[in-house]
Amino acid sequence: MPAKELSRPCMDCKEAETVFTVRKRQLCSDCYKHFIAFKVHRRMEIYRPGKTQEVRPKILLPLSLGVSSSVLLSMVEAQIQHQLAKPYGKVFFDLHVLVIDPSSINPSNASIDDNYKVLLETFQSPAYTRLSIHDIFDYVPDMKEIIHEYAGSQFADDSSLSNEDRLSAFRASISTATSAADLDYVLLTRLVAAVAQKHGCKSVFWGDSDSRLAARALAGVSKGRGASMTWQVSDGMSPWGVRFEFPLRDLYKTELLQYASVCPELSDIVIPDAPLSDNVLTKNLSIDELMIRYVQNQGAKYPGIMSNVARTANKLESSCIEGGASCALCGGPRGNVKGNTGVTATTQSGDSEGSQFCYGCMRSRPDLKC
Amino acid sequence: MAPTTCFNCKEARAVIIRPKNRHKLCRACFIEVFETEVHETITGTNLFFPGERIAIGASGGKDSTVLAAVLKTLNERYNYGLDLCLLSIDEGIRGYRDDSLETVKRNAKQYDMPLTIVGYGELYGWTMDQVVEQIGKKGKLHILWRALDRGAARLDIQHVVTGHNADDVAETVMMNLLRGDLPRLSRGTSIVTASGGSDIKRSKPLKYAYEKEIVLYAHHRQLDYFTTECIYSPRHSAAVPIRPSSILDIVKSGEDMAALVPRDTSQDGKSCKTTAAAEEENTGSCGSQNGRTSGGEMAAMEKQLTENETAEAHETEIQLPRKGAKNTKNTVKSSKAVKSQTLGHCERCGYISSQRVCKACTLLEGLNRNRPKTAIEVGMEDEEGSSTLMRQMERTQLTNS
Repeated sequence: MPAKELSRPCMDCKEAETVFTVRKRQLCSDCYKHFIAFKVHRRMEIYRPGKTQEVRPKILLPLSLGVSSSVLLSMVEAQIQHQLAKPYGKVFFDLHVLVIDPSSINPSNASIDDNYKVLLETFQSPAYTRLSIHDIFDYVPDMKEIIHEYAGSQFADDSSLSNEDRLSAFRASISTATSAADLDYVLLTRLVAAVAQKHGCKSVFWGDSDSRLAARALAGVSKGRGASMTWQVSDGMSPWGVRFEFPLRDLYKTELLQYASVCPELSDIVIPDAPLSDNVLTKNLSIDELMIRYVQNQGAKYPGIMSNVARTANKLESSCIEGGASCALCGGPRGNVKGNTGVTATTQSGDSEGSQFCYGCMRSRPDLKC
Repeated sequence: MAPTTCFNCKEARAVIIRPKNRHKLCRACFIEVFETEVHETITGTNLFFPGERIAIGASGGKDSTVLAAVLKTLNERYNYGLDLCLLSIDEGIRGYRDDSLETVKRNAKQYDMPLTIVGYGELYGWTMDQVVEQIGKKGKLHILWRALDRGAARLDIQHVVTGHNADDVAETVMMNLLRGDLPRLSRGTSIVTASGGSDIKRSKPLKYAYEKEIVLYAHHRQLDYFTTECIYSPRHSAAVPIRPSSILDIVKSGEDMAALVPRDTSQDGKSCKTTAAAEEENTGSCGSQNGRTSGGEMAAMEKQLTENETAEAHETEIQLPRKGAKNTKNTVKSSKAVKSQTLGHCERCGYISSQRVCKACTLLEGLNRNRPKTAIEVGMEDEEGSSTLMRQMERTQLTNS
């Protein structure tokens, strides 16, 4: 029987119509999913158990319920199911999913109760933890003192308040959008790392796409956090003894959006991103938002250059940092990175000397209006 | 509302806000703080030694004018014992360079420093206007840097200082991040770069000074500088600062990242430090050599980056030698390993180059090929003369090493 006539057959299976064109390949939706997921699965190979391995490692996957992290969860989960289905297949790791309530970070975010329910039903094998951002006080016991010390005289810390009110008072004391976004990211990272430590996880799988990593690298550099790139953008050991990995680093945001569009099971889980509006005063944006916009706009024109950024940052070596003093708040190196001596931008700024915080954190302090 | 008093002396009226830390300072305190910071940079990095002869790369623009003024002041105040002189390059840009050179000449008188002007025409037989007419605006800085080196060599001076400021360094950091060029990123942030081809050291004492503060310094000391933008080097100047300190933040990040560049890339420090030439070629503008008018603040970063990007896109497109284009491809392919650049000397002029023939020579060759025969004769003599000089220098160098 002759094959079905196809106007534009998929390049891989030749059995279905082309739905997407990805990196010059015309693929049907199944082959597309396979092609994209392979880039992630390949990165999981380092967890393939060796003969000597006794305990299966645990991996923490922080889920924001946005497109990227949801797609990552679906890919990793699919791989685990595939491994379980094999007669003698070995599962690489156990997955632990952490959901931090977006409404606890920004009250304008809608409640995730419905999405969370669907999530639990859809992906049943991982363990789940759901937290709010102010739970950081429980997971990082020193955080109260650190914040008190960090905020300085400008912020009156009231220990009688609940964790939630206390954290929102601190966050409200930060005057600029850039500093607020910067500290939110620091707090989020601390919480995720602390949860990973508590559950004995070996690594954290962050769901950041290539585009997001590029934006983070550019923003981090602009905020004086260049030395933290070794674990904020590159795969590497974080200051808390947990590896940070970014398995989606080869994939652009647009590709992840396409992937999500052919995964019906994700439709009720993913909270779609609010579209970026064009009518904003650049002055009111944070550097992070500015960079996300920049990467999105320019990435559409020059995708190669944007992937350059994340790839370049991934080449930095973290070994040089080890041993130095680290910042009490963000965990980044304090003062001069080893190897830089004499006069540097650090000594020129003057205000971070003798402090327990790094240059980048000092820039975001509440009493500094810049 | 009563006028704000100075953060430092608490007496005089504050007239400026420092972008770096938002301190409000009066005129006298600002000038003092600015000079002290440059002094700290110089002493902290052991930039000069007593009795050293220094050529200040002067364009008549604000950066080099401020640099000359500050160095003269500090030299007298702290007894550096430096022998300062001004070195200017005349690219032969009509209507821009003529006027700015007049400024340099006035500066030379005001600061009582000897001035040497080296002309493009004299060095290469081509003026900038003619170059641009022929090939567009590419590669202009390759030539400018070599001209500075040659000028210094002619004066027998081993150290050229330039007015590169924090904004320029920050721009280099961001751009090389976009280009994915870590070796160059780490080079661009270091204060001193020795150039192997000519043994001439280059440094940027204003590395930590915000462009805005340089303008303010020039304004408050009423320095005489040239304010028209270089017509071949457009820049965005208007900007809304999101975070005024970010220029120095980027410099800080650049320094940190430079220390984290894998060893094999920053390899035998020598080849790394020797490529001073390369780093400037890519600034995408005439660097601080020109007089930009208003202090363009960081926050136009987005725009600025776009500009860099377009410049970059153009670069790969129009570059004369196909080699350049090939290189980019290679870097993309071998994404894992950081590509190390091996440095040799240009076969023609002896200047450091990662290719067989350096960019400037390729450029000149392309230019000369299209030029009417009669003009070549005049031009070639000069070119011959100077390249013989360079060859001789190369030979002496080889025998020395």
